[in-house]
Amino acid sequence: MKVVKIRNKKLVCPKIYLFLAIFILLFVLPLYLPQYYIHLLTMIFIFAVAAEAWNIIGGYGGQFSLGHAAYFGVGAYTSTMLFHYFNISPWIGLLLGGIVAVLLSIGISHLCFRLRGPYFVISTIALAETLRYLFINQRWITFGARGMNIRYIGNAPLYFQFSGKLPYYYIALLTMLIVVFVTYKIINSRLGYYLIALGQNQDSAEAIGVNSFKVKLIDLCVSAFFTSIAGTLYAQYIYFIDPDAVFGLSLSVQIMLFAVVGGIGTLWGPIIGTFVLQIASEWASATFGSGLMGFKFIIFGSILIIIVLSGKKGIIDIFTTLYYRLLQTEQKQL
Amino acid sequence: MNWSIILQIIISGFFLGGVYSLASMGLTLIFGVARVINFAHGEFLMIGMYISYWMWKMLGGIDPLISLFVVIPFLFFFGALIYWTLFRPVMERTDESKIALTVGLSWILQNLALIIFTGNYLTIRTSYSDSIIQIGNIRAGYPNIISFISVIIMSIGLGYLITNTSVGKAMRAVSQDSEMAQLLGIDPNRIYTIAVALSTAVVGACGSIILSHLYVFPLVGSPYTLMSFVVVIIGGLGNVKGAFICGIVVGITEAVGTYFISADSGVMLAFILLVLVLMFRPRGLLTKGHM
Repeated sequence: MKVVKIRNKKLVCPKIYLFLAIFILLFVLPLYLPQYYIHLLTMIFIFAVAAEAWNIIGGYGGQFSLGHAAYFGVGAYTSTMLFHYFNISPWIGLLLGGIVAVLLSIGISHLCFRLRGPYFVISTIALAETLRYLFINQRWITFGARGMNIRYIGNAPLYFQFSGKLPYYYIALLTMLIVVFVTYKIINSRLGYYLIALGQNQDSAEAIGVNSFKVKLIDLCVSAFFTSIAGTLYAQYIYFIDPDAVFGLSLSVQIMLFAVVGGIGTLWGPIIGTFVLQIASEWASATFGSGLMGFKFIIFGSILIIIVLSGKKGIIDIFTTLYYRLLQTEQKQL
Repeated sequence: MNWSIILQIIISGFFLGGVYSLASMGLTLIFGVARVINFAHGEFLMIGMYISYWMWKMLGGIDPLISLFVVIPFLFFFGALIYWTLFRPVMERTDESKIALTVGLSWILQNLALIIFTGNYLTIRTSYSDSIIQIGNIRAGYPNIISFISVIIMSIGLGYLITNTSVGKAMRAVSQDSEMAQLLGIDPNRIYTIAVALSTAVVGACGSIILSHLYVFPLVGSPYTLMSFVVVIIGGLGNVKGAFICGIVVGITEAVGTYFISADSGVMLAFILLVLVLMFRPRGLLTKGHM
């Protein structure tokens, strides 16, 4: 076996340079890009927030929730309804939506966290679908399936409305970086160690004294908070929400999909996954257009199946393995 | 409260629930024996339904029940194929991997159907499409009655297969303790294949059975996937008789909701029932252990 001596440590972690370059690119690029790409990137950032938030409880914590659209929808509808009925600025609506989502997640924790495996998954689906049903049926307050429009009042930064696309871009980018930072902080704290432990094997973690319910509760609250922020961002950027778009099962599954494909239980995995899948989907829509509607989901499904069958934890894992194999160095064990 | 209204609701519930029962028996089989959480369950129903539709269209209006002779073997082999190519590598992995895998599969199947068959709602007509039996104030459509009878016959057949044949006994053994079953000479892969294939065949047959009174479109399977999971969890994962009974129960719940609240509230009531069961008796209402 060849022994490779690495003299310059920095060569082994070009990751830092790569990230730096990407960051600078992301902050400077939009000033020169056409509108379409700015829109694409903004949508990517918004969904990346949700995927990264899901990853906290779904990836590290192993609680495979397929009902995260519940928090997304709560965020979207809280800020929209507060703005529509009471003229409250969506910035405040953003925070209030987060609080409502946290309260909801506390309730859901008490209902669902005693369940394992498929039972847990189905219960999260049931709860999200129940919310969707409620919002469709309580038409008198939520406008039902017709959806709600965010009233356009021109350029009003204090009311989270801007005349160009750039402000939304930077807000979404900033939020995404904040979620990654929060995830990083959680993972490297004691709470994070408990979370990862119970994510890998809940019984063993409990045997050594981890209060699994409390850990899961706190992490679900954080996850719900940021998912609802993504919901508010979505509402304010798209100017229209309806129960199927923001509470739907397909949204929940897509959030899971972005995280799983990118790298479940990794820091940057969900971000990468969102980038790859959203770009793939836009490419599919552009190439196959109206002739082969639905092709993008075939691509999503195939990618998901390939990732699962590969046994790797997502794109990040695949590239990490390839990278270390290329360098013929020992891969750091977790 | 009119007696005939109550009876009408119960009968509608039986008709609805019968299909849920059969579909859920398939799901509980695949979960109890092969431990696969199959989120693509309803898509096999959709495939069976489309096969029956096209046989009706191409072969001069033959009854969907006759197409069962094609649907069942086709879906049996299709299920076996799916097991060998997709499920076998992940049998030892976590539940979440299997969930992700079958979700991907369901998307592929749904959208392939969308591309091949378009999203149009397709329906068939038979000689008895419009016939109704009326006893007093109770009405029941012929297609519904025939579907229900088909469901009962298939359920009895499936139940017999599981209790009285050696294959069925092997499946029960594997569902109880797969290592012990291996020690006794049962090849787990063969049993898993049969369980998966049987499950897809059964749920595909459901599709053919309901074609006489429902229309087919690419997403027709999704509600059945969800409802099957609800029924299977309420009845107890792996419990075939439980799945049958709880299917009827859920069907009646849905009929009650549809009558008293609104058209789509039935699914909600089923979910509420599910959450209640999960809170107070997560192992299911009717389990004493295993199949």
